[in-house]
Amino acid sequence: MNLSKTLVWPKRLHWEKYFRPQTIPEALGLLEKHKGSARIIAGGTDLLLQIRNGDLAPKALVDITRIPGLDRVRLEGGRIKIGGLVTHTQVVQSRLIEERAMALKEGASWLGSPQIRNIGTLSGNIVSGQPGADTTIPLLALNAEVKVVNKKGERTIPLTEFFIDTGKTAVDSSREILTEISFPALKKEETSISLRLARRKALALPILTLAIVLSTDLAKRKFKYARIAMGPVGPIPFRARETENLLAGAPISEDIIKEAAQKAAQESNPRTSLLRGSEGYRRNMVANLVERGIRIGVERLEGKNV
Amino acid sequence: MSKEKIQIEVNGKVAVLEVESDELLVDVLRKNLGLMGTKAGCRAGECGACSVILNGKVVPSCLIPAMKADGGKITTVEGLEEDGKLHPLQRAFVEKGAIQCGFCTPGMLLSAKNLLDQNPHPTLEEIKTAISGVLCRCTGYQKILHAIQETSETMKDRGV
Repeated sequence: MNLSKTLVWPKRLHWEKYFRPQTIPEALGLLEKHKGSARIIAGGTDLLLQIRNGDLAPKALVDITRIPGLDRVRLEGGRIKIGGLVTHTQVVQSRLIEERAMALKEGASWLGSPQIRNIGTLSGNIVSGQPGADTTIPLLALNAEVKVVNKKGERTIPLTEFFIDTGKTAVDSSREILTEISFPALKKEETSISLRLARRKALALPILTLAIVLSTDLAKRKFKYARIAMGPVGPIPFRARETENLLAGAPISEDIIKEAAQKAAQESNPRTSLLRGSEGYRRNMVANLVERGIRIGVERLEGKNV
Repeated sequence: MSKEKIQIEVNGKVAVLEVESDELLVDVLRKNLGLMGTKAGCRAGECGACSVILNGKVVPSCLIPAMKADGGKITTVEGLEEDGKLHPLQRAFVEKGAIQCGFCTPGMLLSAKNLLDQNPHPTLEEIKTAISGVLCRCTGYQKILHAIQETSETMKDRGV
């Protein structure tokens, strides 16, 4: 973040036109007509700040919040499907997500503030491309994919291939719309957990966000697999693949949990940051949260209410 | 720049307004309608001073283009009183000393009202979450929490 910019930002924001299309084709048509100078607005909680900061200066905004059918969370063919306009508040209140994707509920529940959660959308949180975004991290661990439409048609992108650089994703909001996020609903032998380290409980950027999806064979006391996502520990959201490999098929033991925590600290790459602390501290926190996360995951699978 | 017509219902009254396409709800409420209770604090969605209730949800009016609110129902702090009598929350805030400089108070009151509308008898944790989007630099929050708790209890006594 450029601090000097935030100190002098203008009171007045500017764009010339504000459109409110009723359908996706109409919205795409408006984007095309403006040849890259118009942008999609849904919740707007990131976009308006980017305009205020001077990072973006769209001539027109295309408000998609009046397009019907994009505001639902549903279960279809074993997958949880989240429409492009679903807000964080809706995610927090969804029984389906609580029962079958707890990590996402947890991530959404501490994003921003109630006000931000009430208007900000899950899609927006992903499209903004921040490496430690509160819902991106659990969605990555949940193996989510997204549907994106543009004038040429629709494509599906796995979240693992979605992030290009900080603030840059596979979606170009001046030409495309993210219409759906989906992932397999977790089964009985699977569980998920999110953890977050921040200076305060509300309205504070995370020092570290972590999400783990865990599957175990409790009878044999073995991990079946783990998917571990975290951020910000690099320019894009990070999957701790080496740690995942270490855990796959390993016996559930104190030693292996500690080893996994150290492995995660090694393979992550946090930098010293004025906002988030020193590299050494952040690495220690990676180990700390991974250890705690795996432990809580195992306890959840054992039926404990943690 | 183009002028656009919007219609919003504010505190029970319908208003038809001409706004610029790039105006924000907070400025329209203050400038066009003279409702100065809604404060523009940080203009970044971080302080909560601009909170209003839009279609049943507390939202930051500094991050909402006025055009987006078109057709919506809005409650601002001015809409809390009834027939010149303070809302029970407002009374409790006064009695408990939950107000110092007053800048955060509208956002606090609306956050609390929205909570009690949906959940008349919240736990302390639920109250804390509900007001977590509004920053107060004077009170240390304790008196605000007490005022909201007391209002909830008074409502219980009256069988609400």
